[in-house]
Order: sequence, then C-alpha cells, then structure tokens
Amino acid sequence: MAEVAEQVKHKLTDYKSDIAPIWCPGCGDFGVVNAIYRSLAELQLEPENVAIISGIGCSSRLPGYMSTYGFNTVHGRILPIATGVKMANPKITVIGAGGDGDGFSIGMGHIPHAVRRNVDMTYIVMDNEIYGLTKGQLSPTAHQGDITKTSIYGSVETPIKPVKFMLGIGATFVARTYAGNPKHMADIITKGIQHKGFAFIDALSSCRTFKGVDQNTYMRKNTYYVTEEDHDPSDKDAALKLANDSDRFAAGVLYQEEAASYDALYANVQAKSQKTEVPQIQELLHRYIP
Amino acid sequence: MKSHDLVIGLAGSGGDGVITVGELLVKAAAGEGLHSFMLKSFGPQIRGGESSCRVRMSEKQIFSHGDRVQVLGVFSWKDFKRFRGEMSLANPVVIVQDSADKTPEEDIPVDKEVKRITYEVPLGELAKEKAGTGLAKNIVMLGVLSELFNLPKDGVRTAIAKRFKKKSQEVIDSNLAGFDAGVEYVQNELEKIDEIDFTYTPTEPKVVMEGNETFAYGALYAGCRFFGGYPITPSSEVMEWMSRELPRYGGTMVQAEDELAAIGLIIGASFAGEKSMTSTSGPGLSLMSEQIGLASISEIPIVILDVQRGGPSTGIPTKTEQSDLNQALYGTHGDANRVVLAPADVADCFDVALQAFHISEKYQIPVIVLSDQYIGQRKETFDQNALFGNGQSHHKFTRRTLPTDEELKDYKRFRYTETGVSPMTYPGIKKGMYQAAGIEHNELGAPSSDVDVHAKMTEKRFRKDKYIAKELNFVRFYGPEDAEVGVVGWGSSKGAIKEAVMRLNDEGYSVRAAVPQVLAPFPQEKFETWLEPLKKVLVVELSYTAQFFKYLKGFLRFGDRELHSYARSGGSPFNVQEIYEQIKQEFE
Repeated sequence: MAEVAEQVKHKLTDYKSDIAPIWCPGCGDFGVVNAIYRSLAELQLEPENVAIISGIGCSSRLPGYMSTYGFNTVHGRILPIATGVKMANPKITVIGAGGDGDGFSIGMGHIPHAVRRNVDMTYIVMDNEIYGLTKGQLSPTAHQGDITKTSIYGSVETPIKPVKFMLGIGATFVARTYAGNPKHMADIITKGIQHKGFAFIDALSSCRTFKGVDQNTYMRKNTYYVTEEDHDPSDKDAALKLANDSDRFAAGVLYQEEAASYDALYANVQAKSQKTEVPQIQELLHRYIP
Repeated sequence: MKSHDLVIGLAGSGGDGVITVGELLVKAAAGEGLHSFMLKSFGPQIRGGESSCRVRMSEKQIFSHGDRVQVLGVFSWKDFKRFRGEMSLANPVVIVQDSADKTPEEDIPVDKEVKRITYEVPLGELAKEKAGTGLAKNIVMLGVLSELFNLPKDGVRTAIAKRFKKKSQEVIDSNLAGFDAGVEYVQNELEKIDEIDFTYTPTEPKVVMEGNETFAYGALYAGCRFFGGYPITPSSEVMEWMSRELPRYGGTMVQAEDELAAIGLIIGASFAGEKSMTSTSGPGLSLMSEQIGLASISEIPIVILDVQRGGPSTGIPTKTEQSDLNQALYGTHGDANRVVLAPADVADCFDVALQAFHISEKYQIPVIVLSDQYIGQRKETFDQNALFGNGQSHHKFTRRTLPTDEELKDYKRFRYTETGVSPMTYPGIKKGMYQAAGIEHNELGAPSSDVDVHAKMTEKRFRKDKYIAKELNFVRFYGPEDAEVGVVGWGSSKGAIKEAVMRLNDEGYSVRAAVPQVLAPFPQEKFETWLEPLKKVLVVELSYTAQFFKYLKGFLRFGDRELHSYARSGGSPFNVQEIYEQIKQEFE
C-alpha cells in the first residue's frame, strides 16, 4: 500500500466546549486553555480519554471550557481527586489545573504526597500571585511588600517559590512556562503529559484585573527560555540554580528524571498479591470458620 | 449447676496474652457450633498496657455480650481495677487468679457484697515448667478455665494449633503443653468448689468475624474495587483488610495523607467509574464533611463507613458511642442529601455494605454507614449461611445506569428525570464527556448561578430520597404488635434491646421494639404503624445529648403519648439488664 500521510483526526477545536470563559479580558488563563487544546491536538488524544480536574479559583473554571471529561471540584483537593481518577482508571490522561492559592495554600498538604507517589498526571498551576476569584486577596506566592486587599500595609510573608519547592520535594518533572507564549506552553504541556509520572508545570499567568497590565509585562520581560542545548534537565543542581534566580524566570523543562509511576508500581502490588491462588470471594468465608 | 450460657472475663497487662485467650475461646466455641461474643477493651498504651476481654458462649442464640461476668480470670488485680467500671460481676463470681499476684484482701477491687469463689493457680510457674516459657501463662489459664468449667477442650487445642501454625511445631507443642498443664493442675490439685458446669451439644461450626472485617468483606462482595482511607481507631481494620484483599481482586487501596484526601480519592475513583469507599471514625468524618457535599451535588456514588467512638474531639478512641448521628445526618454545608445506614450486629455489617453500594450506585448519592467500636471490633459468631443464604443470594449488585446510545447523541449528564437519577458516564466512554462540578450546574454540567436552575437542581437531587425510602426501609421489630409500650434504638443497641424485650415478653410484659437499619431517609411509614397502638415510647441511645431522640421528634407525631429518653454517654455498650430495667419502669 502506498504511504498515506497520517490524517489529523482531532482538530484543536475538538477539545473546546461551547461555554464562554468568565475570565476578564487580558487574563493569562486564556493562553493556558489554548495551550492545552493545542497540546491535546498535537498528541491526538481522544477527548473521552482525558480528564481535567480543577479546584476553586479563576483558573479552576478551566474544565468547563474543555470538551473532554472534567471535574470542577472543591478548593484545594485537585490532587487527591486526580489521584483517585488515575488509580481507578490508569488509561485516562489526567490533568490537574488550578491556581496558586488552590495549590500552594489550601491544597499544599497534598502536593508532597502526589509527588512522592509519582502519580502519572500533569499538574498545571496557573500562578498569578493573587486571589482573583475572591477579588484581590494575598496569595502564598505573592512577593513581600505586595499590597493586596488583605495586606493593606504590604505583605510581610515570604512567598512560596513553586519551582524551587517542587524540586526540593523530589518531583520527577518540573517545568515553567509563560501564558503569553502559548506555543511554548503547549510544548511544555505535551512534554508533561508524555512524562510517566508526576509532571509539575508552573504556568506564569498574569491577572490583568488585580495586578494590572504591569504584571504581564514583568512576566514577559523576565522570562527567558532554556532548551536542552543550554540546560541538562537531568542535572538537578543546575535546575536548582535556575530556580534560585529570583528576579527572572527560566522557562522550559528544568528537571526530569525517570521513575516508576504510582499506577505502574501498584500493578506490581496486584501481581504480587495474586501469586498465591485467589479464591472466589464467597470462599473467603472459610477463613473465618474454625 | 448445668450452665448453657457463660460469660468469662479476663484482665491483665498487654504481655499477659489476655486477648489471645479470648480469641482462642471464641474459636473453640464457634468450632463446636456455639454462639459466642467477644469484646476487647484496652488501655491507651500502644503496647503492654492493661487489656481485658470478655467472652460469652451459649448454646442458644445470643444478641449481646452478656451482662455479668460469671468467671473472671485475673493475671493482676491492678490491671483489672482499670476495667472495673465496664465489667460488672455476677454474685457469686468465680475467680481464677495467678497465685503470683499478692494483692492483699482489702485491696482487691471487687465490691464487698460480691461473694468470690477463688482458685489460685501458679500460672507463671506452670508455664515455665511445662511449656518452657513464662509467656505461656495465658495458655495455662486457658487450660484451667477449660477443665474447671467443662469448656470445649478439643476445640481449644485445634484453635491453638491453627493460631501458631505459621510459627513452628515447637511453638505449637509448647502451647499445647501449657494448656495440658492447666488441665492437669485442675484435675490433680484443685477441688471444685463452684457450681458452674458448662454443657452443650456440638453442632455445625459457626463463622467468627469482627464487624470491621465483615463490612470490608461485604464491600468487596458488592463490587467495591477502590478504597482510600486514613488510619484511625477503631476503624483501621477495614483498611488493613482492604490493603490485603483488594489488589488480589484487581482493586486498589490507597492510604491517603489525611481524611480530606481519603474522601477526595474515592470521589475521584468513583467519577472514573469504580465502586469506591472509605472508612473512618468521628474525627475523620468531620474532615470529610465538605466533600460529602461535593459528592451530593456532583451526584457521585460513594460509601463512607464511620466506626464511631467516644467523642467529641479525640474523646475515647478505643471505646464505643453513638454520638456521630448528627454529623452523619447533617454534616456539611448547604442542602446536601445523603443516605445513612446503621448495621445492628456483625453479620448485619455484610448486608449493610451490600445495601450501601446498591443504593449509592443506583441513586448516585453518598451513603454514610454508622457502625461503632462495639460492632466493629467485637468478635461474634453466626451461621455459615448467614451471609450468602443457602446458595441463593438475595443481594443486589447494582451499577450506576449508563446512558443508552440514543441518550449519548445529546448527552445531558444531569438531565431532569422523574426519579432524579440521570444516566452517568465515566472517562473512557465516547460521547459521554461532561463536567462534574461542585459548583451548581445545569443539565449539561455547565456552571450556573441562576436561581431557578439551583432550585430545580436541588429539587431533582432530593427527588431521589422518595424513591430510596420506598425500597430502603428495613426496620427490625421485636415483641407483640399490640403492645402499648414501645422501645426504639438504633445500630449496635439492637442486641441489648432485643434480649431485654424478649426477657420482658417472657415475663408477660407487652413491649415492642423497633430498630431501623436505615436512618435517612427516615422510614416514616413503618414507624407510624409501629407507633399507632403505643401509649408510651422509650428511646435509648449512647449519646448524652440524645441525638436520636431529638431526630425522631422531628419526624414522628407522638401526640399525647408519654415519651421518655434514656440517653447516656458511651464508653461501655448497653447491658441487657440496664435496658430491661429502663423498659420495666415504663410499666410502673
């Protein structure tokens, strides 16, 4: 048979729902959702085999704008719920999508556990350093001195640095990207999805309404791109060095290592448990008859 | 004196092996077809603290642990003292004590009016001499008890051999030697000065299980293949059981980082198509509250088992109470429907597990099961065909309804339907994509803050309750239908209520008890019928604030009937005598 060029089956719009986003004009999250469409189309994933799990916040409205499976859950619980989805149905591509408050404040307790389990999912945190949905309160990633509705005299708290934090707790894939560059973002998301294990993506996504146009300018000006040519993603020290650059944002795959994912390891547990003969469930009763 | 129903109590410190003795006795009894109960009670220490157990064995069916301890095995009076409040003694009581314990007469923690018939046995010495280790003194005690009271000795020997099978033949032999040393000591050195002589006719062996493992077993049988949980006393046995068994049947057990994650895991797994459950106790249920609402509004089936303990806060983790009722019925913000079930005994845990999954799957609703420490951690015997029937199962294995191909053409996940139940897809199903949401949503799952949508959707979700109530309304009734005195309790109180009512009925008192298996939606009709002939109603529960009493008052029109509440703090379960006396007061 003659070679036939592989037909593009799914278009970008196949992943898009009919619902118009509630986001403000100029919101970085538009860039993120567009990058997700683009990445899924690139990977030609069947929409029914993708589940996007979100929490609460502006960015967590994202599943509504997708035509895949989605779950807009409660504040801070993206990771346990996404882990449940993945472990119950490992064939599904699971994406977590939420904001800095949802992840690094109320949901913080779950992050190290999803990381140490190496759940095979992609966790995109749209970081705008502010609480947008509740209209302008202090975020855990806000800078010291930031004036918000709940830090009228300037924040005195040290911000969480997502990339550094994720490297520190042993994430097997850590990347950063910027919503103003959807092409780069799509590429990073694709790499995250392809990573077998927990992929963390720090998505710089500015808030026009509560941080003004300046935030986006700041993000764009200070983002610089690293590629495999100038940065070895298997070098954790180098990745930490990039993460420590507090004035500027290194974007790209900063760190990646291969490690067995939770579902793969659990499949081993199942195999091990089945080594001895598994009786019919009714037969288990005999264990309790002396 | 021939005895057909015997209650044996044991107390010692952790290293004494008190629980082992109890377990071996129950297994021996079950092996002979006797009905048996075993209750454990511990001090707060992780290892080596004081522990006690009581074993009841009887030829006829029993429903509770028995009120008074007729035979007490004591390794140390100091340890017994800690359990004095929860172990009332018969009068006279027969005591077998280690002669190594030199507690002076005046310090023995037994009421002066109780007559003690005491056998002193050098348990430790005999163990060292005959079994080769002082550690076997519990087994020597077992030999003494078996010989003195004519307990099933062969059954005990079999149970010993089975228990130490995984160790070595040497260990088995040493324990059997310890057992025989106890038997022989009685034969050669003791003169029988009490009158207890346990007699029975052996029948087909019975099953011995604890409520926690029975529930886990029922869940597995019901098709549960995902468990997410966080360890908490007194429910951890469920999770441990699942950890061992689920992977063998292709399922998954995840130990969560906390209860927020535990319920999140099962909501996620159920969204992904798997029958899912968690188990916890009061503090864990508190942490899960928010996401009970998520499961309710996003119509995701889940089963939550709450093995209640003394509360609030840390309370008494190792002891029973029925004080999570309000939390199960009402916990979470907003108008969130859920089903609340309560098993009444160990075998019932199996049935309730099946019911819980059937209802949660059929109606896409969270189901909370209120067990408690008294059921969860006690051992109880039941007939071999109690769970599965005679090869014929009446159980329903329901799975959520999937949309038809026709429905998938224009799929609306939250379509308004007559029953409130809308067909549900899960990831992987073509054309079935939708967004589940904790945010209010329209039929498609799209977020909506429209007040009419909210009103209509809330009504849709609550419409299920009516249909659930129609098929889920099991209430246990005991006593004559025309009785004028009624007693009502729930969950694990059943045992004491049933025995008390049977005793009163035998004595000519006309009293009828009602114990619902389902607490929400409330089985209104059945209760109204029960209530009709009654002139007096007594509500009993292990909750100081009388949560059940107040709940009933919200549903039932008691009219001019006299209404009494017997509500006390938990810790120890109800005794039959206690309920008996409370009911009897209604006749005065």
